[in-house]
Amino acid sequence: MAAIKEIRVALTGNPNAGKSSLFNVLTGSHQRVGNFPGVTIEKHEGFVDYKGVRITVVDLPGTYSLTPYSPEEIVTRRYIIDEKPDVVVNVIDGTNLERNLLLTAQLMEMEVELLVALNMIDEVEDKGISIDTDQLEKLLGCHIVPTSARRKQGLDDLLDHIVSISNGHIEISKNKMTFSPVIEVAAEKISALLGRERELASANHRWMAIKLLESDREVYGRVKQYPVWVKVELALQEAITECQRLNSTDPEALITEDRYAFVRGAMQECVRQPRASRATVSDYIDMVVLNRVLGLPVFFVVVWAIFQLTFTLGAPIMEGLAFMFSLLARSLGPLLPNALLRSIIVDGVIAGVGSVVVYLPNIVLLFIGLSFLEASGYMARAAFVIDKVMHRFGLHGKSFIPMVTGFGCSIPAIMATRTLKSRSDRLATIMTIPFMSCGAKLPVYVLLSGAFFPPAMAANVMFGIYFLGIVVGLWTAWMLKSTLLKSDSEPFVMELPPYRWPTLASVLFQARMKALMYLKKAGTLILMAVMAIWAASNFPHSRDLDARLEREKMRIEASGATPVQKSAELQSIISKAQADQLEYSLAGRSGKIIEPLIRPIGFDWRIGISLVTGVVSKEVVVSTLGTIFSIGRSDQAAGGLTSILRSDPGFSRATALSLMVFVLLYIPCVATLGVMKKEVGSWRPVLLYTGYVLAIAWSASFITYRIALLIR
Amino acid sequence: MKLSELKTGDRAEVTSVGSETAVRRRLMDMGLIRGTEIEVLRFAPLGDPIEIGYKGLLLTMRLKEAEGITVTKIPEERQAQETAGYGLSGMRLFRRG
Repeated sequence: MAAIKEIRVALTGNPNAGKSSLFNVLTGSHQRVGNFPGVTIEKHEGFVDYKGVRITVVDLPGTYSLTPYSPEEIVTRRYIIDEKPDVVVNVIDGTNLERNLLLTAQLMEMEVELLVALNMIDEVEDKGISIDTDQLEKLLGCHIVPTSARRKQGLDDLLDHIVSISNGHIEISKNKMTFSPVIEVAAEKISALLGRERELASANHRWMAIKLLESDREVYGRVKQYPVWVKVELALQEAITECQRLNSTDPEALITEDRYAFVRGAMQECVRQPRASRATVSDYIDMVVLNRVLGLPVFFVVVWAIFQLTFTLGAPIMEGLAFMFSLLARSLGPLLPNALLRSIIVDGVIAGVGSVVVYLPNIVLLFIGLSFLEASGYMARAAFVIDKVMHRFGLHGKSFIPMVTGFGCSIPAIMATRTLKSRSDRLATIMTIPFMSCGAKLPVYVLLSGAFFPPAMAANVMFGIYFLGIVVGLWTAWMLKSTLLKSDSEPFVMELPPYRWPTLASVLFQARMKALMYLKKAGTLILMAVMAIWAASNFPHSRDLDARLEREKMRIEASGATPVQKSAELQSIISKAQADQLEYSLAGRSGKIIEPLIRPIGFDWRIGISLVTGVVSKEVVVSTLGTIFSIGRSDQAAGGLTSILRSDPGFSRATALSLMVFVLLYIPCVATLGVMKKEVGSWRPVLLYTGYVLAIAWSASFITYRIALLIR
Repeated sequence: MKLSELKTGDRAEVTSVGSETAVRRRLMDMGLIRGTEIEVLRFAPLGDPIEIGYKGLLLTMRLKEAEGITVTKIPEERQAQETAGYGLSGMRLFRRG
């Protein structure tokens, strides 16, 4: 096969213009998409082979402009400048042309190989907006391709244009942005100065001059290190004075105004939209959802509804799965001849992995709920409604979005804090996220509340646990912000996107992805943890115990009891021997070591083991309980782990509550700690945080346990 | 007057955007520049962030940020008339009554 040509294409555009959706349909890969600004926080790559060309598509974070304002915007600009993609595709929300074209104007200034994808063309047509693309192409000096990522329209056309532009076939002469005379004069002068600096010979001088006039920190820093800076600074000063005299404003504002004037001119020439359009459905929804009186109740109902959906709808499917696993254990057990093998399969794999897999329906439902919130556009509204509360605790309305994501999984949530500009706000938000009870902790609550509370109460108990997490999280944030992370609060400026119905396909797709990921985790990480726990709880093997068991067996055989009595007695001594063996094993011994620490909060050494292993991943708490508590229990298969725990002397309602609180609050899983370290920058604060979290968890569990004992 | 002093349903024209540098930059990037006609759509339930509409887009900001934006209120009589240009169409419903 002939060597294929390779090109790189960068997708840029305003937040929420549909870059990620377009990326997904182009490359067939699947990025997280959502309907709120700032979904893409890092660049993602994917590729598509088209007519013998391998096109690498890079999805960049959305930006309103190219003056770096927040970290994800810097990612975008640096990529365009440093990596020099072959074609820059500017994805434009066709229903919001005026603001979207502002970025286009800035891309024109950068003199890159530009192609405009006029996205959401279906919505544009629905709204009765007509766009004269031929004329707009001439004004912008680049090709325009109407697309709709949702309806998969215009994709081939877009790829055709990408290929031909990379081959240098452009049928349109480039156009230049022209600014007010004051700016043009100053830009001319400054770019001439920059041209004299040898080191900057290859740079785009005009662009740098404009950026300097816009007081762009990055470009300032770059030019400052050269001797030419002295003269440049003088020229800048002069421009500021002139601008004030002639236009009574500063260059930065004037440049933006000029860009808008250009965009406005282009709009007047090329766009016709119906004048007094009626209020949209979005507006009607907002009248209720953001209403002064209804706003907060709606917010709470939405969050509460998601939990109800997760638990109530999930419960019957979960019970079905649990039944299947117990059936499997019961029917498979007798078929396995070897006692050790039977123990591995039945007590280890089926009890451990099965106890985690049964929660699949709950997890999938939770994620469907969250992805619906994200895709519909409600998330940004929630941030608006709740900002004042968050602000009280030293957080930001936008902190709310990663916090809600945290109910799914802490890892993407911690990464999503990158949309927060101020470092102290980011750190405070990161520290609250592990308290937002993640999907992995859900199985623990479902198990324990189901086992120790009547069905009507179980969902409320779980809601209470989640609520406690939020309270502790906010308290932590408030404490941090009023001591270690004291700073001015970050400004709150956020756009509300129009509501959109998430497509059924995308919601189902998300659900399938989550389900597969969960099963994969159960089949790999959790399976390994389960095997390790099984081994640790069966070895070292005590010969004394074996010998004792043999003696007892002989004694029973020799006794004059009836066969029924004999078998019952036999069963009970075998169970006793298995329990003693567990205590003798590595797991048992390490559990015993920490037992004094956890006794006051109601846990015995067996629960202690599951807490230690739970640091790998929170579902492992359940699988460990499944493995350890089924050891030495002959009746294990009957009602699954639920009935085993219910009838175990080591477990009471108070223990269950205390354990839920502890699991909610104690050390986040290893993967989360890793991501925290990456985002915070060093291990020290993460370790301090771990200590803090343990202290909080212990105290809260202690209080819970003691109160629960009193009430009983 | 300041944007933060307007009431729900008021319409005004922006005369200057003078908040702290980064906020100002962001606001201008969102199209809030001199001469933009805006309408105050609502305040959040707890009274703080304010939501304004202009050029077919909905923007929210804290009152602190809104303090930095000076506006001239468009008198009621003129509000009744059709405003030129695109943008504010569709926002009409949000006026009182």
